[in-house]
Amino acid sequence: MIEYDEFENRMILKLVYYGPALSGKTTNLLRLHDLLEKQGRGDLTVLDTKNDRTIFFDLLPFFLVAPSRLKIKLKVFTVPGQVKHDATRKAVLQRADGVAFIADSQLSEETTNFESFKNLEENLQFVGLDIEEIPLVIQFNKRDLKNTITEADIKGTWGPTGIPVFLSSATEGWGIVETFGTLVGQAYDHIDKKHYLKDKHGLDKETFIQQLTRKINEVSIIPSPLAGEG
Amino acid sequence: MDNNKTIEYDYIIGADKNIRDILKVSDITPLLQSAVKAGAAYAAIEDDTGKALYQHSGISESPSSPEVTVKKPLYIEGEVAGYIIVKADDGIINTIGELMLASINTILKSSYKALLATETHKTVVHQSFEELLETNRKLIQSENKYRELANSLEKTVQQRTEELRQAHAKLLTQEKIVSIGQLAAGIAHEINNPLGFILSNINTLKQYVSKMKGMLVFYRDAVEKGTVEKELLGQKWKKLKLDFVFQDIEDLITESSGGAERVKKIVSDLKGFSHIDEAKEADADINKEIDRTINVLVHEIPGDAEIIRNYHEFPLFACNPADLCQAFFNIILNALQTGTKGLKLTITTGYSNGNIRVSFSDNGPGMPEDLRNRIFEPFFTTKEVGKGTGMGLNVTYEIITSYGGTIDVESKPGKGATFTISLPVTERAKQI
Repeated sequence: MIEYDEFENRMILKLVYYGPALSGKTTNLLRLHDLLEKQGRGDLTVLDTKNDRTIFFDLLPFFLVAPSRLKIKLKVFTVPGQVKHDATRKAVLQRADGVAFIADSQLSEETTNFESFKNLEENLQFVGLDIEEIPLVIQFNKRDLKNTITEADIKGTWGPTGIPVFLSSATEGWGIVETFGTLVGQAYDHIDKKHYLKDKHGLDKETFIQQLTRKINEVSIIPSPLAGEG
Repeated sequence: MDNNKTIEYDYIIGADKNIRDILKVSDITPLLQSAVKAGAAYAAIEDDTGKALYQHSGISESPSSPEVTVKKPLYIEGEVAGYIIVKADDGIINTIGELMLASINTILKSSYKALLATETHKTVVHQSFEELLETNRKLIQSENKYRELANSLEKTVQQRTEELRQAHAKLLTQEKIVSIGQLAAGIAHEINNPLGFILSNINTLKQYVSKMKGMLVFYRDAVEKGTVEKELLGQKWKKLKLDFVFQDIEDLITESSGGAERVKKIVSDLKGFSHIDEAKEADADINKEIDRTINVLVHEIPGDAEIIRNYHEFPLFACNPADLCQAFFNIILNALQTGTKGLKLTITTGYSNGNIRVSFSDNGPGMPEDLRNRIFEPFFTTKEVGKGTGMGLNVTYEIITSYGGTIDVESKPGKGATFTISLPVTERAKQI
């Protein structure tokens, strides 16, 4: 959690899209930006990319207000995937409330996926987060490509860990909101345990997920008072 | 880098920024001035609470048309972060307002990005620097640790060496106690024998004394009564077998004093061997010391054994004679305990080139080379478990080398063994 100000009645949460270079982390955020209702989220800030590669991070903010008037801001970040930007990854990972690990489904990328996941484990520990505790989902992206790891293999490897796994194609735009929705739900559970979102702020999990994952042209039931244009 | 170490940064990526953090006076002032120049009466930027952060007013002129105020929101990360306020004539307000809004939002957006990039960059650099400092600190720590370890290692080695030395010294003392015990058992047996018949003789003498007393009382009574008769006295004399008693007394006394002499000799041999009445350091006659050692071992010498002494004259040797006897004792005892029938032990002493040489040569079973190389090691024994301490020859070795001497052994299985000791005679000893 980036910040929780009880006096000001606001909470800033952080979700991080982690994964190897060019696995589609930024594309995930772009798709969320395109697919989700403009109301309730801010603009996507893309910081200094170079040849399609993120060197700092991308940021997509979401806003919602609990019935208790608690203002919740959820900031979704990507990290640079390249090995050399490890220091930036550590800095972005600091105080994360949840991580989506975006793996590249291509067979040629198996090793880099594992290395990146190992790097995630190390860096979580480095910034004082427990990988057993932190909300975590895995997305196998680029399912539209050929020569990808089979679904059976993915289940065989990750099934026993109990970590939710999603298949997606960020370029085709499927599997993206599902990944995000599940991560948001897990993050809710995690925060609810400490800060009683439901009991103290009247915000239940379904509403929380629904508010953050409303797709464009779905009818908005509760208009967010903070919605605006960037 | 220790993974358990977590570093907390001053700046958390994602922390909210307010409009004042992002917009600089130098960026905004020209814009506000331009707005006024273009005809606005007032241009300002307020934060989200409505507090004016930057403002600029035009010279108050009588307005040609009614003055209108425009207030438009500014966004950071999609949230309203403040407002832009423009007051101007109705005719120009929209143009100026739109222009200002577009310009300031552009500045806001690019400044915000620049700020994020800068903060991230600073954080990463700071973090890398902290990590380097931490790595450096750990390196210094481990260097110190290893240095300490190296120092204490030397100490530990010294300490362990000293402990070993003490343990060895203790074992040597124990070996002496064990051999003294063995010696004492033998000696006790030697003394017990004469002591036995001396005691038995004393008992007999006691009876003889009472017989003589009886004779004397009989005679005194007869004198007092005046009834002294040769015949009666003769009968009494015979009854008491005094003729035999007087003859036996002589034998008993001779035998007893012989036994006492034997005990006296054993004690004196023992004293000689242990040098108990002497100063620790003395000038010793090695030949005499060997004899003393053999004397205390008499009871160990089998009846069919022969000890040949092939002694030569040489200077006295400054030493602790008891130590030296102990050294000879262990070699001679080993030879005597080989169980060889018709054992022949030749002891040769001599002197050449400042060295006293003593050799003990037996016709025992000898030993193979691998054994020969180990017999001076502590705890090495060929005797059954519990019988030998394995320290005997080690004690000899320690004693001889403590005088700067050497001890060698020549042996082959079935061909007997020869131990040769060489002791250097010091200048002081030679003058004597």
